[in-house]
Amino acid sequence: MQVIRRIIAIAIAKLLICLSRILGNQGTDFPGRVARIIDPDILKKLAANVQEEIYIITGTNGKTTTTNMIARILEEKGYFFVHNRAGANMVTGITTAFIKEANLWGNRPFEYALLETDEANVPLLLKELTPRVVLITNFFRDQLDRYGELDRIISLIKDAVRDTDIELVLNADDPLVVHFQNETGLHCWYYGFDDTDYDVFEGEESREGRFCAFCGEELQYERFHYAQLGKFQCLKCGSHNPRRNFTGHDLRMTPQIHFYVNNMEIYSPYLGFYNAYNILAAVSVAKLVGIQDDIVQRAIARYQPRAGRMEQFQIGDKKAIQILVKNPTGLNQTLAALNTDPASKSLFFALNDNAADGRDVSWIWDAQVENIAIPGAAIKGITCSGLRSGDAALRFKYAGFNEEIIMVESDLEAGIKSCLNIEAEVYYFLCTYTTLFASRKILSRLAGNKSSHKHKVNLAKPAAGGE
Amino acid sequence: MASFCIAHLYPDLMNLYGDRGNLICLQKRLEWYGHNCSVQSISLNSDIDYRTFDMIFMGGGSDREQGLVYQDLLRKADQLWKALDAGLPALLICGAYQLLGTHYESFDGKKLKGLGFFNLYTQGETERLIGNIVLACRLNNTVTTVVGFENHAGRTYLEDKSLESFGTVLAGFGNNGQDGHEGVRYKNLIGTYLHGPLLPKNPAVADFFINIMAARKGVNITTSLNDRLEDFAHQQIKRRVLGS
Repeated sequence: MQVIRRIIAIAIAKLLICLSRILGNQGTDFPGRVARIIDPDILKKLAANVQEEIYIITGTNGKTTTTNMIARILEEKGYFFVHNRAGANMVTGITTAFIKEANLWGNRPFEYALLETDEANVPLLLKELTPRVVLITNFFRDQLDRYGELDRIISLIKDAVRDTDIELVLNADDPLVVHFQNETGLHCWYYGFDDTDYDVFEGEESREGRFCAFCGEELQYERFHYAQLGKFQCLKCGSHNPRRNFTGHDLRMTPQIHFYVNNMEIYSPYLGFYNAYNILAAVSVAKLVGIQDDIVQRAIARYQPRAGRMEQFQIGDKKAIQILVKNPTGLNQTLAALNTDPASKSLFFALNDNAADGRDVSWIWDAQVENIAIPGAAIKGITCSGLRSGDAALRFKYAGFNEEIIMVESDLEAGIKSCLNIEAEVYYFLCTYTTLFASRKILSRLAGNKSSHKHKVNLAKPAAGGE
Repeated sequence: MASFCIAHLYPDLMNLYGDRGNLICLQKRLEWYGHNCSVQSISLNSDIDYRTFDMIFMGGGSDREQGLVYQDLLRKADQLWKALDAGLPALLICGAYQLLGTHYESFDGKKLKGLGFFNLYTQGETERLIGNIVLACRLNNTVTTVVGFENHAGRTYLEDKSLESFGTVLAGFGNNGQDGHEGVRYKNLIGTYLHGPLLPKNPAVADFFINIMAARKGVNITTSLNDRLEDFAHQQIKRRVLGS
């Protein structure tokens, strides 16, 4: 009976996966949800087929890029693994990912599983499978309205890993992450950056980890890499950055990311400090898996940005770049990247307030939009779009932009066209989550791409692809 | 051209959900009206004289941070009350609003004392009241809608029935999800749960504060601003919530 139940669950979910692909849907939660109704133990059973190790990647920012980079490394090595590629990072989406790779009997072995997991879903997932490693990238304020305060999420995850054999891979530069070791007593591996030429010495007002997690005293920072990530100590109780196992050093960010991890040289076509962190995290995990340096180096050098991660489109003679923004830290990093580009720009910002975006759009006021309201940023026009186009427009107006260059077109297609109508050298499309794929479809069509999946083909084995 | 100065209380502790957008809004609008406005950050253990400011602003914070702030504010409570009673404009959001009452009782029974300026109290519950909210508020004898976003675990009850609320709830929860009221109004003080931030999308409320600040200085504001984008954003969220 159990076997039949499992087979039915897999068969129906596989059928639903096919159907949603034909319909061109991005959502991959639904098949997993249905399978779990038919067989509540389906994920437990399929996860038991992982022969080597399971890796969970969580944290506020960078988990998708980090997970995709690790996947690229495992592919380069030739491993067969499960990976929730489409960014469906709830337990249901992870179930879908397992079913996608499973055979009908549900007994096909996998070597590894690589699971990007929403922070609040980590405790749920740990009830059904046991990973070797949980990697935590960082904790920033993100879509607070979905789960309440950050403190609560952190303590939920702590409780879930306590008294297990799980190893933690932690960001040594994030004070909110590092106290996991003391609180859980687990074995921890730390990664972080040495001093870099890009560090700053003054903080911004909106930081998460301003206070010592052990004693509540305000932390003293010697330097910041970005946001609350940096070199800190607590004068009261003496807590400070832990000793690193994987150190990023000699970082250069122009014309592209170049640095070393424990003397291993790394090149990447990516931009921005946050991506340097993603690479460092991915390399750390690859070292724990035991993958050779040359394979890691090759995979990172060949890893190309995906949807929303600075993906480029050529529309006639116009260069368009699409970027996913979902919280103040991500938006700040994006704006910093825009500021390093001297070209004249037309900017598009689509802001939605659906559940996946976060119902509360006030986070745009926690970002330093003022930083790009300077002549050097060469911004010729700003088109605001989406369900909350008005809120977006006000943020730009009060950041100091002249009202006359701010356009409001709530409809995405009209907005994209309005943005492209402005005379500029490069067109930046900033999108929140639920505007990302719809905007990408429009951009792909305007670029004359027959398939909007063009950029994916050279990345993933076709069997594992599909979003 | 006049120079205004707003005190931003505990910006490093009490700043959730984009609340500092309220200060950006007041500063910019005062500039557009042809005046200057500076913001002074007030942190723990600093001695200030509230009478030297044109307005005070304080945002929301998590429970831990609210405790620290309460201890500090208590030292200056008399002076603060005198200034408020004399008509000092004040905008106090969420956690800052709760501190005005007699106490806050968390869902597990822990009681935190408040400043006791008003006979109101807050009862914490596990389920948070979250979502867009629309109010009808009376400002300068005109009824106007106010839009925002609320996210609070506390239910606030105005025990003193003569206390005026900031507005009545057209959609959303408000003070406690039951009595249809939101926030508190006293002279030129507004205490409210509305994030969003409140002022950019509600230029009528921003100008309510600006006009009082100006009048208290003997400055006349005669020009009007182009609020095309502000009104659009206000209407957009109103349509999304009220569906009309």
